[in-house]
Amino acid sequence: MRPALGGRVLSVVAGLLSSMSSLATANELPGDSVYQAAAALTDQNGRSLAWQDLRGRPVVVSMFYSNCHLMCPLIIGSGKALQSQLSASDRDALDLAVLSIDPARDTPAALRAVAEAHHLDPRWRLLRPLDADVRTLAAVLDIRYRAQPDGTFNHTSTLILLDRDGRILARSGVTDLQPDPEFVAEVKKYLAASP
Amino acid sequence: MLTSTTLWFVLLATSSPATSQATYMEIPGAAFRSTIRHEGNDGNRVVADFALMQRAVSNREFQAFVQQHPHWRRDRVPALFADSGYLLHWRAAGAPEPLDADRPVTRVSWFAVDAYCKAQQARLPDWAEWEYVAAADTQRHDARHDPAWRKRLFADGTARAVDAAGDSPANAYGVHGLHGASWEWVGDFSTLLGDSDKRGADDGDRLQFCGATGLSFNNRDDYAALKRVALLSAMQPRSTLGNLGFRCARSRP
Repeated sequence: MRPALGGRVLSVVAGLLSSMSSLATANELPGDSVYQAAAALTDQNGRSLAWQDLRGRPVVVSMFYSNCHLMCPLIIGSGKALQSQLSASDRDALDLAVLSIDPARDTPAALRAVAEAHHLDPRWRLLRPLDADVRTLAAVLDIRYRAQPDGTFNHTSTLILLDRDGRILARSGVTDLQPDPEFVAEVKKYLAASP
Repeated sequence: MLTSTTLWFVLLATSSPATSQATYMEIPGAAFRSTIRHEGNDGNRVVADFALMQRAVSNREFQAFVQQHPHWRRDRVPALFADSGYLLHWRAAGAPEPLDADRPVTRVSWFAVDAYCKAQQARLPDWAEWEYVAAADTQRHDARHDPAWRKRLFADGTARAVDAAGDSPANAYGVHGLHGASWEWVGDFSTLLGDSDKRGADDGDRLQFCGATGLSFNNRDDYAALKRVALLSAMQPRSTLGNLGFRCARSRP
């Protein structure tokens, strides 16, 4: 009897341990997650958050600067067009985050003005990184940018789909106000697969 | 006696990789004509005053960093930040070969060297800053017009490089080893991309800049600089190479 009980206790303990360790594995950040990078951000409402705080929900992310009249409205426009192609529940499930490459000028107030001008819903975050973190975030997302002598920037304009844990699932160059249909399909597929 | 003293010294040196205070040389800025130009920038730059490490970061110094920040160890670094060659020449995950301790560290990714410099309250130098200081020979701040000097730089990144020996003299700014056996990362390496770059041909477009495009060269005779740009522009930020190291810089406060 005793050995059997001992065995049962052991197996319960072992079960507990293994469920704890699978919990730990679930919480562990994947090695290829973009949230492996540490960065401090401020949103358009002046709230501070960490880059890792975006974890937990699917996000479409991009980088821009608000003092930009050609590509940046396209980035926001194609993000909005993407939202409009989703069902109401999918729209609620998807966050959008745009990181500034120009933190000196993209103050929370400047970012809030962009959010208001484009009537962005609360799923959108316009984020100002610390100066020293812009390059690291761009490198993590493989977005390239270069400051020009006249104060403008050249940059790759890209929408990137991140899963809940920050793994890059899809990316698409922004060329006009409509997002690439293949990218939209990827977003829908991921949202459908992860209730 | 001599042997045991030497051995003791080596042991002492390898067992206590205390964060040595790296020496930074003050670099007075000036107008400078870069070998590379971007659309919207003909290559004329103004390099602001800054400070640059006198020597490239060594294996020993990088070991101290890895000890203080263990998630940068070879066996713990996330795949996002480094490829499989990262610190592969170290005899253990946390320690370089003793004989290599003072040599410039190599097999380090951009992410790792970016983190190293940030941990020293520093940053990586930009390409223009690096090129500006590397234009100097031992006597002149800008020796690039001298064909003999330019020719010597063809061996950059090899064992025959001008500064390959550990005791090579400083250049006119007091900086050592810029033309050594290893190349060096720069902070803005990813902007050195030519506009005809089509890496990952199925998706080459995403590497193109909006509006203006990539880079071209002002002086095609400056072959050593071209070679350096070509090498850096082919790297991903998680890439490592057996002959690519780094040093840090600081802006003037």
